[in-house]
Amino acid sequence: MKKKFYPDYLIEILFFAILTFEVILLLSFIFPPVIGREIDFISPYQPRPEWYYLWLFWLLRFFSTDTVFIGGVIIPLICILFLICIPWLDKRIGWRWTAILGFIILLLFIVGTIVEGLS
Amino acid sequence: MKIIEWFLDRFRLRSTHRGIFDRNIPEGINYFYCLGGIAFTAFLICLFSGLFLSFHYIPSEKEAYLSIIRIHEEVNLGKLMRSVHKWSANVLIVSIILHSIRVFITKSYRPPRELNWIVGVLMFFLVMIEGFTGYLLPWDQKAYWATVVGTNIVGSIPFIGEFLMLLIRGGYEVSGTTLTRFYSFHVLWFPLLMAVLLWAHFHMVKKLGISKPL
Repeated sequence: MKKKFYPDYLIEILFFAILTFEVILLLSFIFPPVIGREIDFISPYQPRPEWYYLWLFWLLRFFSTDTVFIGGVIIPLICILFLICIPWLDKRIGWRWTAILGFIILLLFIVGTIVEGLS
Repeated sequence: MKIIEWFLDRFRLRSTHRGIFDRNIPEGINYFYCLGGIAFTAFLICLFSGLFLSFHYIPSEKEAYLSIIRIHEEVNLGKLMRSVHKWSANVLIVSIILHSIRVFITKSYRPPRELNWIVGVLMFFLVMIEGFTGYLLPWDQKAYWATVVGTNIVGSIPFIGEFLMLLIRGGYEVSGTTLTRFYSFHVLWFPLLMAVLLWAHFHMVKKLGISKPL
């Protein structure tokens, strides 16, 4: 059977939109935000970033103060460049190799997040 | 209803309206195709909760922290709005990651959709930067030092690092100037850019159609 955007697809979209709204509302009620401490400008403090930056934080541990830009700027830029180039990489080296490279980056993200999140 | 007919005709909504709603959806689509829609929903919720927060938030060195406390304790539903803003941002990032994995696995980035893939990557990057600039706005201990550390990394780039850091911080230290700058980026520059990119993304989805499942 041929599906039309209206009404078949639209009703599914609306269902998931409402579900998303409810999940967000539920999370908001269960885990309300807290007010942070006032800034202490004098003593340096090691902050923890949001979970989606934890992998970068983990990566930075492997670099010294002089080369920190490699972990903090160069590697993320390479990741973005890789993502942008995926359609052409796919043509050059095939889907399987592109997938393996992409999986390595995803693994970097997941491992970094878990290691840094647990420490 | 005559007046509705008139409105739709004069507004020239008839043709595009039909165009979107009459589209055929390819067969074999599964529920993983909803992830993009979930991301967009999370974005809209994030946008509107942010608009409400901007009623009460004051982006200044002296007032920022106090205005957050006020939002929490005095403003009607203020605490909920902060919570919703934070959680919708998290859901947004998770759903973007899952959406791009879906697009990769179904090979939907292949021509003629490669430009749409690039626009998507740019939006992902923009959302990450929104997360970074938004982190400073509560102007508390965690926010301040995270921005110091984050911008120090930019400053460590050889040759152009110092210039870039001054541009981002608006001075040699993270100060009230940085706060207003990040506020401007977070609520004006990036959402504006985001709106343009989202329009482009949906425009291409509409014109190219949903990619056929394998």
